[in-house]
Amino acid sequence: MGDRALSRRGFLAASAAAGMGVTALSACGGDSDGGSSDGTTTVEWWNISTTEPAKTVWAGLAKKFEAQNPKVKLKIVQLENDAYKSKMTALTASGKLPDIFHTWGGGVLKQQVDAGLVEDVTDRTKPWVDGLLSVAKAPYILDDRTYAIPFDIGMVGFWYNKALFKQAGVSTPPTTWSGFLDAVKKLRAKGITPLALAGKEKWPGMYYWAYLAMRTAGLDALQKASDDKDFTGAGFVEAGQHLKELVQLHPFQKGFLGAAYSTPTGQAASVGNGKAAMELMGQWAPAVEADAGKGLGKNLGFFPFPAVEGGKGVITEVFGGGGGHALRKGAPQAAVDFLKFFASETTDIQLVKKTGVLPVVPAAESAITDPNTKAVQAQLKGATGFQLFLDQAYAPAVGQEVNDSVAALIAGSKSPEQVTQSITKTAKEEQ
Amino acid sequence: MTSTFLPDRRSGPDVELPPPSAAFARGRARRRLLNWLTAVGFQVPALVLFIGLVLLPMLFALYAAFFRWGGFGMPSDYTGTDNFTRLFKDPVFLGDLWRCLVLVVLSLALQLPFALAMAVALNQRLRGRAVYRMLFFAPYVLSEAITGVLFSMVFAPDDGLADHVLGGIGLDGLGGEWFADPSYVMATLFLVMTWKYFGFHMMLYLAGLQSIPAELTEAALIDGANAWQRFRNVTLPLLAPTLRISVFLSVIGSIQLFDLVWVVTQGGPDHHSETMAVTMFQYGFKRYQVGYASAISVVMFGICLVFALAYQRFVLRRDLEGATTTMRGDGK
Amino acid sequence: MTRKTKDVRTLPLHVALVAVGALMVVPLVYAALSGFKSTDELSRNAFGLPEHWLTGNYTDILGSGDFWRLLGNSTLIAVATTVLVVAVSALAAFSFARFAFRGRELMFTFFTMGLMFPFAVAALPLFLLLRYLDLLDNPLGVILPQAAYGLPMTIIILRGFFRQIPGELEEAATLDGCSPFGFFWRVLLPMARPALGTVSVLAVVTSWNNFFLPLLVFTDNTWWTLPIGVQQFQGQYSAEYARVFAYLVLAMVPALAFYSVAERQLVGGLTAGATKG
Repeated sequence: MGDRALSRRGFLAASAAAGMGVTALSACGGDSDGGSSDGTTTVEWWNISTTEPAKTVWAGLAKKFEAQNPKVKLKIVQLENDAYKSKMTALTASGKLPDIFHTWGGGVLKQQVDAGLVEDVTDRTKPWVDGLLSVAKAPYILDDRTYAIPFDIGMVGFWYNKALFKQAGVSTPPTTWSGFLDAVKKLRAKGITPLALAGKEKWPGMYYWAYLAMRTAGLDALQKASDDKDFTGAGFVEAGQHLKELVQLHPFQKGFLGAAYSTPTGQAASVGNGKAAMELMGQWAPAVEADAGKGLGKNLGFFPFPAVEGGKGVITEVFGGGGGHALRKGAPQAAVDFLKFFASETTDIQLVKKTGVLPVVPAAESAITDPNTKAVQAQLKGATGFQLFLDQAYAPAVGQEVNDSVAALIAGSKSPEQVTQSITKTAKEEQ
Repeated sequence: MTSTFLPDRRSGPDVELPPPSAAFARGRARRRLLNWLTAVGFQVPALVLFIGLVLLPMLFALYAAFFRWGGFGMPSDYTGTDNFTRLFKDPVFLGDLWRCLVLVVLSLALQLPFALAMAVALNQRLRGRAVYRMLFFAPYVLSEAITGVLFSMVFAPDDGLADHVLGGIGLDGLGGEWFADPSYVMATLFLVMTWKYFGFHMMLYLAGLQSIPAELTEAALIDGANAWQRFRNVTLPLLAPTLRISVFLSVIGSIQLFDLVWVVTQGGPDHHSETMAVTMFQYGFKRYQVGYASAISVVMFGICLVFALAYQRFVLRRDLEGATTTMRGDGK
Repeated sequence: MTRKTKDVRTLPLHVALVAVGALMVVPLVYAALSGFKSTDELSRNAFGLPEHWLTGNYTDILGSGDFWRLLGNSTLIAVATTVLVVAVSALAAFSFARFAFRGRELMFTFFTMGLMFPFAVAALPLFLLLRYLDLLDNPLGVILPQAAYGLPMTIIILRGFFRQIPGELEEAATLDGCSPFGFFWRVLLPMARPALGTVSVLAVVTSWNNFFLPLLVFTDNTWWTLPIGVQQFQGQYSAEYARVFAYLVLAMVPALAFYSVAERQLVGGLTAGATKG
């Protein structure tokens, strides 16, 4: 008898407590909505810098901005990459974006702009925006109007283990595609895994096809294909064939189809622990290799994606992207001021020095100390052409189809022709 | 089955019942109405919550399935059944259907009997019983996120725990590429699924076993039945309702499987472990083709509904009929 | 039956249980141990004991006020959801199990339909609905939908158990002048303890691990729950996996603790002599 009475009492007590707790706390929850009281404007800033050192540095910068602008309060909302994307999808559907938000430019930004949700900042930023690196600005300019300001830029290239190269007898990094395939064969002959690839995530594989398309068909053809929604040109098929050539050499690590990028058993860790000789990755590669694996330190080198003999592209054309901040339509002036602050030389020097990003303000390059970062910066500065990450440049559906199709090519279930056909099909459907 | 709360079904000392008359007939109708109202009254809170927060969004998604919609604003590009025709021509989706069937069959054939065996084993007085129960249930409590990272490390080729262990006991050849191998990824995934979810079913069975009065099994024991006979003739029949629920939930769960697959393989390699829900998520949240994703969810819903209706008709009907002896049909 | 024979008979059983237990537990132990390593050690020394026992990961988390706030939020939301869903479901399941009325099976199928629709697709319209009702950044915006989506499973399970209560009890109660609700509250519920315990545990666990809904509803981090918290250890390109493991192991503890407590209740329900009246 006692048991029953106790359990019911417990049940009632729990529900009462929960009920009271919830009503009490929900009363004090959620009241601020960016409104102004006594003249202070609260501006919401959404970003994805959830890990150190960026997290602390950015918080410090926010404080600095508030100090310089006493009437402005910055409210930071930080979400991890995927969570951020999901949340932004929901917000876009509901029609209200945050005041300042992180953007990768390209197709998704375009969709948001087309939905009338993003502020056109061309005129308000004109005085100072010209000073920024042109490749950095590119992803955020749509139809000659600027919709976001960059804080980060980067490019993709080969990161390699110098010691392993020496061991295999590859004296200098290859500059042509055939030279590259040679190097792969030499590494394999010595029992060294030539390349690490995160097959599960698909976007690292896309990098190969994108660069090959740039090198064979050329940047202009790539742009035209995107405009005409037609990727079936011979150059693109060739790109796929070159990739197939590479895949048939079995250059990747065991189980690469299931490998992730940054997990302890993934692509970055493979290179970072000296198990694979190279990876084709963006400028963040050294940091992740040191995080997920031990890191190669002085042993790490960088070389740009080789040129393809007979192709229309050149080795100085660069594939990459970065991050920027966009404003919602109707955001307060304080938000525009923030954009200027974040893109200023002083801020950029801080970012370069403390978080290791590449500068968007040319003058800030003096703050770079790491030799690999310097090498990448040199490439960026000397770039003769720029292509944004395909899964960001194109409409999301097309971008995903590129990733998927190339992954299928690598897994052996799609031919180079089929790749171009599926991408074209999806692009046409998206109109 | 009439509720016993109707005043005209009293047993005990004779009560004078009014003679059948028009008034009586009206009274009876009123009582039936009262019965119906009471019954439905108990349902009101559930109905309010359900219709408001589950049904409405569902109907909206159903509506969106007939449009080409990117998720911004309201759906405006009506495409009729285009999404559905595209769906059934898509080799990936057709593969999803097949994989779904495989998962359902595997779960029913392997996972559920295993859970039952464990539940029976842990229902007895056994040393450390509580510890075992907690251990077996713990995987269910673990979030999918950690399960995903955990098992991608356990099944990493060569370096993973699985390969280490297999090598240690000399079964080197058995290890393969696990998740990275298109031919075996479903099998590996099923192993992880079982690890994670069998505790749920075990718990259901344990609760069911504990509702079986001990006197019945004791009586059978006294009559000389051995363990297997006791199980087959006493336990199993009495556990049947629980088993039926468990099967139902397992099938529906297999059709809807998403979280685990997404975290562990994202449907790869090359779509070989993709389920309908994964495809739906890809199209809805990555490709921003929400109308198409809604169409997939409508198909998933349709499959579940057909199964549920058939299941109710042929399997659960037995529960309806002979459940308890005092329940009679309306008006008898 | 001598003690010896009994032990010998249960030995194979014990061996089997230990084997299965080991399979269950090894991944968990691995996760716990990984919390004591540094992230890059995870790739070099995945399965051995940590080279240096870094308590930092665990202590950092336990020491940060954030974790406890997230823990509190998760607990509050889980408890509120569970109480709501079990209460509402019990009422509905009682109606399904003990009453005959027109349209009963239809309504039951109606509720089970909630199980058949993938949540991710309903997420977007649900978000718009919650926004319209001004329930964003409000715990009720998570509790109410969670309870609503938990209704189908809970009702299904409870109906099954309620049906097994013998009809004689109901008749006896009627004779004593008990109203339907009275029977429900005073006789049925106490007897259905194992079932109630089961669905409570399921509701708590589902709520505890729910990531997507709280992510959509909460912008302000005041109300964030544990699963969202773990995301903060992951960046755009890499993640601090050792901390992730430490965090997730810590996050699992309360849910497991709840299970062990609820479990004892299940056993208690049995010994209260249910059928002996």
